[in-house]
Amino acid sequence: MTSSSRDVAPKGQTRAALLFLLPAFVLIAVFVAYPIVYAGWLSFFRWDGASAPTFVGLDNFLRLATDAIFWKSLGRNILIAATAIVLQVFLALLIAYCLVRIVPFVSRLFLFFYLVPVMVSEICIGLLWRFLYNPYFGLVNASLKALGLGWLQRGWLGDSATAFPAVVVVMSFTYLGLYVLLFVAAVRNVPESLYETAEIDGAGHFTRFFSITVPMVWDAVRANTLLAIIGSLKTFSLVFVLTNGGPNQASEVVSTYLYKAGFSSFEMGYAATIGFAQIVLTAAGAFVIFRYLKRARGGNER
Amino acid sequence: MRLKGLWAMGVAVMLGTASASAGELSFWHAYAGQQDKTDFINFALDAFAKAHPDIKLDVVPAEQSAYKTKLNTAMASGNPPDVFYTLPGGFLGAFVDGGQMYALDQDLAKDGWGATFLESALAQTTRNGKAYAVPVDVDAAVFWYNKALFAEHGWEVPRTYDELVALAEKIKGEGLIPFALGNKDSWPATFWFQYLEMRLKGSGAVAAFVNNDADATLLPEAGDAFARVADLAQKGYFPIGFNGMSDQEANMLFLNGQAAMLLNGTWQIGASKDAPEGFELASFAFPEVAGGKGDQTDVLAGVAAAFGISEKAANKADAVTLLRFLTSPEVMTKYVDLRKTMVTVKDATTEAAAGPVLYGISNGLMKSAGHLDPFYDTAMPPKATNAYYTSLQGVLDGSVKPEDAARKLEDALKAGQ
Repeated sequence: MTSSSRDVAPKGQTRAALLFLLPAFVLIAVFVAYPIVYAGWLSFFRWDGASAPTFVGLDNFLRLATDAIFWKSLGRNILIAATAIVLQVFLALLIAYCLVRIVPFVSRLFLFFYLVPVMVSEICIGLLWRFLYNPYFGLVNASLKALGLGWLQRGWLGDSATAFPAVVVVMSFTYLGLYVLLFVAAVRNVPESLYETAEIDGAGHFTRFFSITVPMVWDAVRANTLLAIIGSLKTFSLVFVLTNGGPNQASEVVSTYLYKAGFSSFEMGYAATIGFAQIVLTAAGAFVIFRYLKRARGGNER
Repeated sequence: MRLKGLWAMGVAVMLGTASASAGELSFWHAYAGQQDKTDFINFALDAFAKAHPDIKLDVVPAEQSAYKTKLNTAMASGNPPDVFYTLPGGFLGAFVDGGQMYALDQDLAKDGWGATFLESALAQTTRNGKAYAVPVDVDAAVFWYNKALFAEHGWEVPRTYDELVALAEKIKGEGLIPFALGNKDSWPATFWFQYLEMRLKGSGAVAAFVNNDADATLLPEAGDAFARVADLAQKGYFPIGFNGMSDQEANMLFLNGQAAMLLNGTWQIGASKDAPEGFELASFAFPEVAGGKGDQTDVLAGVAAAFGISEKAANKADAVTLLRFLTSPEVMTKYVDLRKTMVTVKDATTEAAAGPVLYGISNGLMKSAGHLDPFYDTAMPPKATNAYYTSLQGVLDGSVKPEDAARKLEDALKAGQ
């Protein structure tokens, strides 16, 4: 490669550059790479966290393959990812379009409102929503009653039918703002001339949104979808605070299941197996989606 | 190998030399981090220094959460402290099985020391017929009720389970919640199942599993106990969405007078300290269950902490002196006064120190109890606890059949043997 026509920095500069990269490299090696490798190694052992680990070969992986709770939890993660694409990414793009193209005079104010949940810690948001969902003094049931929809009142987080949807709603609320922010920046970068031309041709907001905005910000859509999927597959804190995976594991996701296996049942080896599987599946899922979206981009090269 | 050696050396350096030389005792405890805890241990150690100036103590305090790991590591590396704080049940049991605990029976027999403890509390630090630690404090689960609310509505404290259910129906009819329950974290509902199992079958069922008793079983009564809890839930005697509510939220309902009763531990006294005007805390025993085979006076009560001596301790006589001092009525009464918790030393939980409510439980319920049965969820192996928690939540929300839950729990306990 060094013989290519590209400019190659003099030796001294390369050394300096590597030197500057070294701290980051060390941090990643110690806090990211080592734990992943260690978890992979640990997944071949049975270990209660205190005594010496026992080598069990592929036992943990075989157990994982037939563990209905794990697969159900993973299914919920995938469902969360699917809803995130609609309720977080697509909705955020729609909101960003409205803010930039339809009501630009209040866009800053609204952008701030959407960003508030992003700035607050997830634990606080979770605790806040626990109060909103409280069956007795929560805002959700009180609003339903005030609207004459009293028959809809229920114990949202304690009912195995509604616990998981209730958590998904909070997730969408929490992360929507981040995508709105990212999309507002992208939509602002779309050349004004395109919209002017469309307006002359008599295109309405619907056409302008789908035929101009979406293709023009496709790179941002792709990146945000990927972010949403990765975030959905590793989600933990909101579920942990809101339902702790309950009732009877009706809202269990992979991370909360991993946490319980490791820190309630003290099955560190199995927890490592779950974590290792989670990382591999997340990486594979993200890769596939990314490749697919790239092709879907079609002839809209800018 | 070289890495391992380095690691062991590091651990050894971190721990320091825990075993002190003769005339000196190392003492580890977990009374740190909380004002009431530090107040107690400072009082006790100052008094000990005055009473026994010849015994030098090398004291290492730690916070409860960090303490377990710290002691485990010290025990595993074969470098235990001479005298130390420990939890009863499986935690202590592991040390006993490893031959690391000094049996206290001979010392307890001297001068009636052993007779100063509640027998049933001492039973929880006894393994294979030998006492390996002395119990300190004990938490009991009882029914709490809002006395003012009961007086206002003319309700009476139920004596039997049928009366309890009838009362619940009546309370529900008047638009209030019969029983507050916030079961998000799964432990609050365990008191219901365990008390029913204790009344129907008898105490010691889970303890038998933990002690590797071949005949240990929860069946067939566990199915009935689960079914009764499910029935209460299905009839709407618990708050709406209780499986998603926290214990604190349930407490709000109870303290605000929206719920009439609450089955909870003696820590409820502390939780009720900031109750609004008009709330009056009182308690009653879990009622008798007609036809139940268990001793109907049994109380669900677990020893929360204990003190033990290491088998390796060089100076056992001084170590015993320290234990006897720590569990003397004077020190234990001070413990009750500072921490508002019942202690296992008889008559040390005085009315002046405990306050009227706790004293009533300690002097009435606990004294007349046939047995004290420790909390199932902390007594059983951690893996079984998870099965216990999820099946109970499932039974309560109707998604798991009582008999399936009973079998799942039994299997989990058998697997842990």
